[in-house]
Amino acid sequence: MSSAENSDFLGSQSKVRKQHTVLSYRRIISDLLNRNWIEGAIPFITFFVLITAILITTDGYFSPSNLNTLAQYSSDVAIVTIAMLLVVAIGGIDLSVGSTFALSAFVALYLFHIAGLPIYVVFPLTLVCGALIGLFNGFLTGILGCGALLATLGTMITVRGIFVIVSQAYLVEISNSARVDATWDYVGFENFMGIPVSFWALIVVTIAVYLMFKYTRFGWHILAVGGNRKAARHAGIHLKWVIVLSYTLGGALVGLAGFLFAARQNSAGSDTGVGLEFFVLTGLVLGLGGFTPGRGSVFSTLLGFATIFILGNVLTNAGFRGDFITGIMGLILITILTIDMKYRKERHRMLARAYLDPTTLKVDPVRDMGKLALEFGSTKLEGASLLGVGEVDGPEDVILDREGNLYCGTRDGRIMKLFAPDHTRVETYVKTGGRPLGLAFDAEERLVVCVAGMGLYRIAGPGQIERLTSQTKRSWTSIEDDRHIRMADDLDIAPDGKIYFSDATKRYEMETWGLDLLEGRGNGRLLCYDPTDGTTKTVCNNLIFPNGVCLTHDGRHLLVASTWMCAILIFDLERMQDGPRYFARGLPGYPDNINRSSDSGYWIALAGMRSPIVDLAMENPDFRLRMAKRVPPTNWLFGNLNIGGVLKSDANGEIIDAYWDKSDGPLYMITSMREHRGSLFLGGVTNNKIGRIDLAEADTGWNGPDSYWSGSK
Amino acid sequence: MDIGLSESSNSLHQHGGPLPQNRRGRGFSAAFQQWQKRLSFKQHPLEYIILGITLALVLAFTTLIEGFLTVGNLLILAQNSTALAILGCGMAAVIINRGLDLSQISVMVAVSAVFGLMLSNGADYMMAMGAAFILALILGALNGWLVAYIEIPALMSTLATAMLIAGFCRWGILQGEFLVLIPKDLPQVIYISTGKISIFPVSVVIGIVVLIATFILLNLTVLGRMFYAMGDNYIAARLSGLSVRTATIWLYIFSAITAFIAGIIVSSSSGTVDFRIVTNGTMLFEVIMVVVLGGIPLRGGRGGVFNLIIGVVLISVLQNGMTLLNLSGQIQDLVKGLILISAIVIDNYINPKDTETNTQGDL
Repeated sequence: MSSAENSDFLGSQSKVRKQHTVLSYRRIISDLLNRNWIEGAIPFITFFVLITAILITTDGYFSPSNLNTLAQYSSDVAIVTIAMLLVVAIGGIDLSVGSTFALSAFVALYLFHIAGLPIYVVFPLTLVCGALIGLFNGFLTGILGCGALLATLGTMITVRGIFVIVSQAYLVEISNSARVDATWDYVGFENFMGIPVSFWALIVVTIAVYLMFKYTRFGWHILAVGGNRKAARHAGIHLKWVIVLSYTLGGALVGLAGFLFAARQNSAGSDTGVGLEFFVLTGLVLGLGGFTPGRGSVFSTLLGFATIFILGNVLTNAGFRGDFITGIMGLILITILTIDMKYRKERHRMLARAYLDPTTLKVDPVRDMGKLALEFGSTKLEGASLLGVGEVDGPEDVILDREGNLYCGTRDGRIMKLFAPDHTRVETYVKTGGRPLGLAFDAEERLVVCVAGMGLYRIAGPGQIERLTSQTKRSWTSIEDDRHIRMADDLDIAPDGKIYFSDATKRYEMETWGLDLLEGRGNGRLLCYDPTDGTTKTVCNNLIFPNGVCLTHDGRHLLVASTWMCAILIFDLERMQDGPRYFARGLPGYPDNINRSSDSGYWIALAGMRSPIVDLAMENPDFRLRMAKRVPPTNWLFGNLNIGGVLKSDANGEIIDAYWDKSDGPLYMITSMREHRGSLFLGGVTNNKIGRIDLAEADTGWNGPDSYWSGSK
Repeated sequence: MDIGLSESSNSLHQHGGPLPQNRRGRGFSAAFQQWQKRLSFKQHPLEYIILGITLALVLAFTTLIEGFLTVGNLLILAQNSTALAILGCGMAAVIINRGLDLSQISVMVAVSAVFGLMLSNGADYMMAMGAAFILALILGALNGWLVAYIEIPALMSTLATAMLIAGFCRWGILQGEFLVLIPKDLPQVIYISTGKISIFPVSVVIGIVVLIATFILLNLTVLGRMFYAMGDNYIAARLSGLSVRTATIWLYIFSAITAFIAGIIVSSSSGTVDFRIVTNGTMLFEVIMVVVLGGIPLRGGRGGVFNLIIGVVLISVLQNGMTLLNLSGQIQDLVKGLILISAIVIDNYINPKDTETNTQGDL
C-alpha cells in the first residue's frame, strides 16, 4: 500500500474525541490525599488566612515601622520556639523554657549591671546559663530516662523559684544601675541594614538549625531518635548523648533569647517568661500541624509561631485581653490536634473511598461481523498445540526471533526463552524484577521489554538487562506526580529507533488494573523513548487504557489498542499532535496487543468479550461506584474474560477473519499473538501455556524481525 | 483451687490494690501471704522511703518547732492538705489510667468561679452548687471525649483544655478579674470553712469521705478495675472487650468532680477564688507531685489511695513545717521542685522503662 493511499485513508476516518485533563472532585481529593505536602499545608493556609483577614480589617498593620517593631519584639520568643523544636524533634518536651528564659535574662542583667562585665563575657555566660539548665534536663530525660514532661516540670518550678529569689534580691539594684554600653544598646534597639539586630540573630539561628537538620550528622540523629527511638538505637546512634545534646542546645538557644530580651528590656519582672512554654508550644503545634516528634521543619514552625504571635498582637491591639487570647490559643491547639489525629487516622480510609472515580464511557455498539461472529461457533483455536505448559506463568506477550526461538514474560518477573524448533526446552532468559509485558526486537535484535511497575528495559543477551527509562515528564495539570511509569504495557519500535510504548494506567497497578475498567477514564498515555538522547516524552495523554502498540507496515503510523473503548486508534507519526483517529471501532471484545500479519494486515488479540450489560454499566458511573462500594469484588459486574480470540484485520481496519477460542479453554484470555513462518503463537496473561496454530494460507517465510528490520540489515 | 489461683495472681499483681478476682473463698493463709507481699519492702521500696522521710521530717520538726506535734497543729495540717488530697484522688485515678489531667486546676477554678459568682448574685446555695457541678461534668466529659474519641494524647489535650477553660472562663465569666469573692456570711460557706464534726473540721471529713469513695471506686467497682487494666495495657484492655472509651470519659469526669469538690472547699475556706493559682501553676504540680511521690508510677496500672495518702502526708508535713520555720513561699516552691525531681528520679530508678522496645520518647 502506498503512503499516499494511507493518508487518504486516515482522512476518511473520524477523529477520536479529545480526552481532556480530568477534572473531578473525587480525583482532586484523592490526589491531594496522596500528596505528602498536604500535611504541611495547614500552617501555610492558616497564616495566609490570618494575613488576609488583617489586611482587610486593619490599616497599616504591615507598614515597615510596625513590622520593624514586631520583628524586634518577636525574635526572642521565636528563638525559644526553635529551641522547643529541637527538643520536640527528639521526642521530648521542655516545659522549663519560660523559667530558663527568665533566669537567663536575669543572669545577663546581673552580669552586665552589677558585675559590670563586658558584653563579650556576658553573652557567652548567659548562653552557658541556659545550656546548663538544658544539660540538667537532658541529664534527667536522656541519661536517667525520666519522663520529659514531669522532669522539665520539676526544672520549671525549681528554676522559677531560683529566679524569683534572686530577682527579688537584685532587680531594684539592676533598675537603678546607670551603666550604659554601646554594644548592649545596639543589640537591644538598633537596626542593622534596616532590620533589628535581634531579628538578625533569629535569622542566623534559623539558618543554622535548618542546615543542622538538613546536612549534619547530629541533626539527622535527632530526627532519627524522634522518629523511632528503637530503630535509632538499633542503628547504633548513641541515644543518650543525642538527647542530652539536643536539650543542651535548646537550653543555649533559650539563653540567647534571654540575652536578647535583657538587652531590649533592660529589666525583668516576676512574670517574665510565665506561660511562655504554652505560647511556644501552641506555635509549634500549629506549625508542625500536630505534636509530631521526628520532624525538623524550622520554617513551618516559625510560620506557626508567626501566626500565633501576630494573632495575639492583633487581638491585643483590638482591645482583647490576655485571658481571651489564652482561650483562643487553647482552641487553636485543640483544633489543630484534632485535625492532625483525625487526618492521620482517616487519611487512608478517605483515600480509598475517594480514589475510584468512574465516569461515563459510551462504547460503540458492536459492529456486525457477519459469519465471523463468535455466535457462529467457528472455534479455530480448538486444535492449537500447547507449548511450555506449566513452565510459563502468564505470558502476556510472546515474540519470536529470526531463528524461531520464542520469548515470553512471566508473572514472577522472568523472561523465558523457549528454544526452536520444537520449543520444549525452556530456560530463564533474564530476570526483570517487575512484571514483563510487551516485547519487541530492535534493529540489533535486542529484546526491548515493557516491565509493569518499572518501565522500559532492554535486554542485550541472557541476563543482561538495562533500564532505558522509568519516568516521563511531569504533566503540569496533574496534582499527582505522574512522572513514574506505572504500567508500561506494550511497545513498538519505529524505523528511526524511537520506541513508542503505552502506559496503560497512571492510577492503578498490575494487580488492580481491573479497577481501571470501573473508572472508564482516560488514565493512560502513549509515551515515546528516544534512544539517541535518552529522553522520554508523553506523546498523547489521557488515553483510555492504551494497551497494544503496533507500527503499521509502512512504518509511518502507529496503531494503539484502547481496551475499554473496544477500539483501535491510529496515529500519524509525523503529525502526532493531531491526536489519534479510529482505525477500527465497535470490536466485539476488549482488544489487547496488536501485531503485524504476513499479508499486510494486523492481528488483534481479544482479551475478553463484551456483554451488553457491562456496556450499559459503563454509561452509568454512579452505578459502578455504588457497586464497588457495596458489593465485594468477587461479585462485581465485569467484562467476560473467560473467552477470547484473535481477530485479523486488513490494512484498513476491516475485520477479515476471526479465530475464536472454545468456551472451556484451554487458551482463555488471549492477550497476544505473533505470526512466525506460517504459524500463530498465542499468549495469555492469566494462562500457563502458549498456544500454536498453523495458518493455512500464510507466507511460511514471513517473520516479525524481518518485517521490521529487513531494510536495515 | 483457691491456693493455686491466689498464688498465680500474686505473681501477676504487684500493685498496691487488692486482687480483683477470687475475693470470696480465699484461704486465710493466702490472704496473709498477700498482705505480706503488699507490705513487703522489696515490692514497694518507694513507699517505705517516703514514709521514712516523713517520719524523719516529723521528728526533725518536732524537735525544731515547738508545738508541731500537737492535735491542734495536726488538724490545721490536715485541713490545709484536704484540697490537695481531694484533687490527688482524681489525679491518681487518671495517672493509674496512664493519663494526665493538666486541666484539673483550671476546671477547679472555673467551677468555683461560677459557684462564687452565682452566690454573690444571690442565687440559692444548692442551685449554685448544682450549676457548678454540671459545669464540672461538662468539662470533664470534654476532656474525656478529646482523649477517648478524638484520641489526642491526654497530655496535649488537657494542656489545651486548661488554656481554653482558664482563658475563656476568666474572659467570659469574670470579665478579666482574677478574684471572685465568696459571700462569707452564708451559713453553708461558714459550715464548710470553719464547721466541725466532733473535733474534725468539716473539710477534713469531706476529704476523708472522698478518699474512701476513691478507694471503693478503684478497688471494688468494675470501672475502677478497668482503670487499672487500661493503665497497665491499653490495647489489651480494649481487645478484651472493655468499653475503654466510655471508661475514659468517666475517668475524666471523676477527675473534674474531685476538682469541683476541692474548688468548693478551697473557695469556701479562703473566701475567694483566685485565678492566679492557674497561671503560676504550682498547685497543679503539687497535685502531680503527691501522686508520684506516693509511688503511683506515671506508667500507670499500679498504686492506689494508700500511695496517695503517703504522698499527701509527706508534702503537707513538709509544707507545714517549712511555714512554721518561716521559710518564704519561693524557698518552699524551690524545695518542692527539687523534691518532685528527686521523686521522678527515684521512681524511674525503681520502675525502669524498657528502653529496648521503646519506640517513642515517653513524655
